[in-house]
Amino acid sequence: MSENQNINYLNHPKGIMSWLLTLDHKRIGLMYLFSGIIFFLIGGLLALGMRLELAAPGNDFVSNDTYNSMYTLHGAIMIFLFIIPAIPGALGNILLPLMVGAKDVAFPRLNLASFYIYSFGALFAIYTIVNGGVDTGWTFYTPYSTQSTSNVVPMTLGIFIIGFSSILTGLNFIATVHKMRVPGLTWYKLPLFVWALYGTSLVQITATPVLAITMVLLILERFLGIGIFDPALGGDPVLYQHFFWFYSHPAVYIMILPAFGIISEIIPVHSRKKVWGYKFIAYSTLSIAFIGFLVWGHHMFTSGQSVFSQIVFSFITYFVGIPTGVKIFSWILTMYKGQVSFTTPMIYALSFLFLFTIGGLTGIFLGAVALDIHLHDTYFVVAHFHYVMQGGTIIAFLAGLHHWWPKSFGKMYNQKIASLCALGVFIGFNGTFFPQFLLGLRGMPRRYATYSDQFSELHTYSTFWSTILGLSIFIAILNLMWSLRKNNKLDPGSNPWGALTMEWTHTSSPPHPHNFESDPVFTNGPYDYDKVIVEPTLKK
Amino acid sequence: MSNEHHITPLRTYLIIAGSLLFLTGVTVWVSFIDLGSFNIILAMAVATLKASLVVLFFMHLLWDDKKNLVVFVMSLMFLGIFITFTLLDTGFRGGINPEVKNSINSKASFYDNLPLTDTHGNPVDSHDNHHEDKDDSHH
Ligand code: HEM
Ligand SMILES: [Cu+2]
Repeated sequence: MSENQNINYLNHPKGIMSWLLTLDHKRIGLMYLFSGIIFFLIGGLLALGMRLELAAPGNDFVSNDTYNSMYTLHGAIMIFLFIIPAIPGALGNILLPLMVGAKDVAFPRLNLASFYIYSFGALFAIYTIVNGGVDTGWTFYTPYSTQSTSNVVPMTLGIFIIGFSSILTGLNFIATVHKMRVPGLTWYKLPLFVWALYGTSLVQITATPVLAITMVLLILERFLGIGIFDPALGGDPVLYQHFFWFYSHPAVYIMILPAFGIISEIIPVHSRKKVWGYKFIAYSTLSIAFIGFLVWGHHMFTSGQSVFSQIVFSFITYFVGIPTGVKIFSWILTMYKGQVSFTTPMIYALSFLFLFTIGGLTGIFLGAVALDIHLHDTYFVVAHFHYVMQGGTIIAFLAGLHHWWPKSFGKMYNQKIASLCALGVFIGFNGTFFPQFLLGLRGMPRRYATYSDQFSELHTYSTFWSTILGLSIFIAILNLMWSLRKNNKLDPGSNPWGALTMEWTHTSSPPHPHNFESDPVFTNGPYDYDKVIVEPTLKK
Repeated sequence: MSNEHHITPLRTYLIIAGSLLFLTGVTVWVSFIDLGSFNIILAMAVATLKASLVVLFFMHLLWDDKKNLVVFVMSLMFLGIFITFTLLDTGFRGGINPEVKNSINSKASFYDNLPLTDTHGNPVDSHDNHHEDKDDSHH
């Protein structure tokens, strides 16, 4: 495709400043990618540390205080520093303009600013880590969070700042989708990943300000003694939970919608089939984004909120299952009678289908008040959200990373190792988290460093498999990095999966600094595998 | 599209300014009427009306691209959702544990340090028995 093999966004322009001050969405995306992976690594090491502590019932390695800090940092880092900013920030940034045939996002400078705001917020998080951690749990519930002497203020301040980065990125993406599409690319021809990013962005700009307000109120109460949440000051601690979950339930959709988008791209390509139910998938994204705002009380069933609101929140929670189910069935029907090939991205995508379904269904269990009264704050909840966040979002992220790696870098990783790692992730993941459902059902509470002997067998299993999980992800990432070595170039015209979306058909791998060498002309829908024949091409 | 500049006649501005002044009068006036828990609803309704007038006319939202209106209405809607659902909690508490019925603890020690007045500046009656949560929760 590209005659001029040497010029691409990675090597042109050159020099460290050309990276740090770049306005190119692809470079900004890579900066998000690498910072995200670093935080993923830190969060992952904390998790393995916790599993080590939990391998046996007593306080074997760390004190209770250290353990409190470990799970708080693990949760806060994974959610606020990796999943929420880095996934839309990395894959979204790299792909969105390419997918809509634009030269860049609508506001390139704002995009760079978002990245630096994120980095600035991350500094506060790093300060928190080196200054001895924070022990409130990632939810910062009052009244404890207004009393804890750990680093609540730096951490919440960091989250407050990172929130602005999310809002600005969301704004940028919305403007890009509205204004920068290539002529002919109508809404119903947009790749579904673009729809997913659009839905995510809407949630980001509507929900994140509430998180910012919550963090400010918390800090105000701590510093100025203004009674908002503390009953001794005339406040209401449950109000904190309303504020927090009004943001954080929608935030779980900020985390999962991009994952849905990735899966909607990968399944048709690797099944050689038009996506089934395009409009269903697109609209279910929007309805999930909306319903997500009406269910936050399902996190508060044991908080003392009124029985009336419990019933209302429980009832509405069931509705979330509908658009979610619609998507799962659409993906399965897309594969039906397709030529499914078990490439690395597809192995991850199939794992996603399996794991996310378990995660989503157990979410519906937890949405039933009567059951949740028993399961709240047990390992059942821990297992639920790891099935959706790791089994769902992170596996989709790995799927997307492997799918678009040759596009982003013009290099192909060792596919055998990558597929083995994908299997390792699937097996290790189930081994780690399935026992946690059983632990929760038997009454093991979350957030404790020790437990009674009856739980030790399941905990030991969980710890054993977590090493397989950790190792598989680690090798998978190393394998990707190793592909970046010098003499491993792909032909810039390669389209290794035979995909039809514009980032594959209209530009080289890696793309030109301005995305397309000449103005792109929109030719075919993103999933027209029934009309257009593309052969996978992978040349050195 | 909305690229042409809309010129608002002076008369409109004056009418809106007049209504705002009038509504300010209403705010003051209703503060003298005690409607119980409807006090806050009424006050918020008047304030919302005033803010909407400012945004629609003075800030020209009415003549702007309709998408911006959608965004504005949506933000009001989300605020409405947040407040309504939170009130479903605080308004109906105590079904199982009557002691949590009042979401705000009016006997909190915090109020002891304030010269408490009602909305018209009259001192609120002294609160001798207001010390229930003081002894053990002070650090
Ligand atoms: C089918 C849709 C889902 C339903 C019905 C659902 C329902 C629930 C419920 C009722 C709880 C509260 C359990 C408790 O604390 O007692 C919960 C917790 C949680 N869910 Fe989900 N969920 C769904 C999907 C998701 C997704 C997609 C994510 C993230 C990607 C997610 C992340 C979480 C997290 C992080 C928690 C635990 C929060 C905490 O207390 O630390 N959920 N879910
Ligand atoms: Cu939720």
